[in-house]
Amino acid sequence: MENFLIQLLNGLVAGMLLFIMAAGLSLIFGQMNVINLSHGAFYLLGGYVGLSAVRQLGSFWLALIVAPLVVGAIGFVIEKFLLRRLYGGQRHLEQVLLTFGLALVASDLIQWNWGAFVESVAPPALLSGQVPLYTIQFPIYRLALIVFGLALALLLWLFLDRTRIGAIVRAGVTNAEMVSGLGINVHLVFAGVFAVGTALAALAGVIGAPITALYPGLDFEILILTIVVVVVGGLGTLKGAFWGALLIGMADTFGKAYIPQFSLFLIFAVMAVVLLLRPSGLFGLEAWSR
Amino acid sequence: MNRKKSLTVTRRDFLKLAGGTTAALAMPAVLSACGAGASGPLRIGVLLPYSDIYAVLGESITDAMRMYFDEVGNEIAGRQIEIITEDTEISPDVGLQKARKLVEQDEVAFVTGVVSSGVLVGLRDYFHETQKLLICSNAGANELSRGLKTPYIWRTSFTNWMAPWSIGAWAAQNVGTRAAISIPDYAAGENNVTGFSNSYEAAGGEVVMVQRTPFPNMGDPAPFMAELADSGADLVYTFYSGGAAVTFVQAYSDFGLAGQIPLLCAGFMVEEDVLPAQGSAALGTFSTLHWSFVLDNAENNAFKTAFRERTGRDADVFAVQGYDTARVIAEMLNEVGGDTSDTNAMIETLAGISFASPRGPFAIDTNSQAPRHNMYLREVQEVEGTLHNAIMENMGEIVDPGNDSLG
Repeated sequence: MENFLIQLLNGLVAGMLLFIMAAGLSLIFGQMNVINLSHGAFYLLGGYVGLSAVRQLGSFWLALIVAPLVVGAIGFVIEKFLLRRLYGGQRHLEQVLLTFGLALVASDLIQWNWGAFVESVAPPALLSGQVPLYTIQFPIYRLALIVFGLALALLLWLFLDRTRIGAIVRAGVTNAEMVSGLGINVHLVFAGVFAVGTALAALAGVIGAPITALYPGLDFEILILTIVVVVVGGLGTLKGAFWGALLIGMADTFGKAYIPQFSLFLIFAVMAVVLLLRPSGLFGLEAWSR
Repeated sequence: MNRKKSLTVTRRDFLKLAGGTTAALAMPAVLSACGAGASGPLRIGVLLPYSDIYAVLGESITDAMRMYFDEVGNEIAGRQIEIITEDTEISPDVGLQKARKLVEQDEVAFVTGVVSSGVLVGLRDYFHETQKLLICSNAGANELSRGLKTPYIWRTSFTNWMAPWSIGAWAAQNVGTRAAISIPDYAAGENNVTGFSNSYEAAGGEVVMVQRTPFPNMGDPAPFMAELADSGADLVYTFYSGGAAVTFVQAYSDFGLAGQIPLLCAGFMVEEDVLPAQGSAALGTFSTLHWSFVLDNAENNAFKTAFRERTGRDADVFAVQGYDTARVIAEMLNEVGGDTSDTNAMIETLAGISFASPRGPFAIDTNSQAPRHNMYLREVQEVEGTLHNAIMENMGEIVDPGNDSLG
């Protein structure tokens, strides 16, 4: 029972980290109908930019702001000059090739600039330390991560559900052409959503760095898990990203804790079952293949 | 949209592409025609990871090899040394493909490198059947000195058995008699379980739990911590490398186990490449390895200084192995007078090679086709403001038994 409760907390930590990633990936898909395979690279890039920010500015909190801004700006530029050329019709293959190519370029550039050494980022002093929990000490940073993830989910929901911009974004998910017909600059909305999506990946990179460390290859590890989350939760919805992330985070954690030999298998088994029962994911848009 | 348009290749494009490819493929053959025999440049194939998680190991080994070759003027036994590097990633398939490329296309005299045990095992049959020489500068899979031994693969690095076997008995006598083991679920992990258990149990210890974690992607190790805390063990023995070495050591400290249950490991886990990222979380970790940064001998001091000057970073055990490998290659080539046409003649010289290495006395054991060298018991301490593995004890020479009798 004690072990179960500890693993429940671990599962929440994993789930919240995945949620921040998946929210970005899902937003971008919902808006532009693009599976962004460079999302993992933006996680890693965010982590490394955060690392440099911590080293230069001496503050984890500033890194938390700087990294998403920098990477979000890069995302904005990528959408404006590259991705924009490949919208519409049956151009999924070209989009996948572009974003996968970007992922490869990014991972080489990262290694070129930051080296191939494993790097880690220390949690801020305010959140270091532990709380005794049965036989172990539970790190305060991880508890804070759970709270932060939940707060971010609420914030994103309020933004999408209650603001004018949120309404435009949601309308864009349903029918971008109609939104454009109403006189709204869809191009700007797309670029904005892509920037916010990549900024979320970078945010996850900084927050995750004290837990996952940073090293070459982490980008694709994270990307695969995030895609599983989005597929399970349903493409294009925040709700799907949230519950998908929780489900996969829990499956991953409990799998590792109780049946480690099958833990990777378990994640994909969960995905398979969900897809069998609900082909468009738990909370997916019914007709997502526009 | 028009899908066809984007995929169309004109006849002219195709001809250009085909012509270019053919020319590129023909070049090495033309070059190699000039380089055959006992004169002309001598081509050495280097198979190492330059991307993915083991990229740092590949870079260390390469830098140190080049450093040695530069020291001897890039010329051995009258022949110019030419290195051709290929990236194996961490994939046995890619490793095999690159080995074929080096041997069949570049026609190298012999091959060196290989970091991952999985890649080494995957290459074994190819080198055995083509009777090409592979001098392995890292991968420690026990099997290559035992059941899968072949005359064509020799090691200048270590076997996976050495570190866990050395620390096992010491742990039972000095730390406690109940041990939990946590290892990645693959061949090298199992080598560590048997090596450690055999010597630990022979010295009166009992292994109470073995935890096998997903490989290669362990992810966040947090879910494994509760089981270790509950195990009732006096110590935890582990073997992780790369990113997992950092996240495991940090989680072990974050979840409060570091102060409770001493952490022991194969020395790679707290080597110089990961120690800065582990930081103070690694303090007090005990390990065994055939080298330490602070090892005080003339060769090591000179090596460390030269490596630092050349690369701007501190040496690690992988650099030492690269340096020793280059030296072994040089001695071998001098023995055969630079004539690489007879692989068996080159192999015969390997058994007699011994010298003073940065790791201490170094010799190649004929039976295991791997080095005999000292093992050092080390503890992570702060040495002059930086974390290093302080040497607690020189445990003396170790040599792989060449069979599974000791684990």
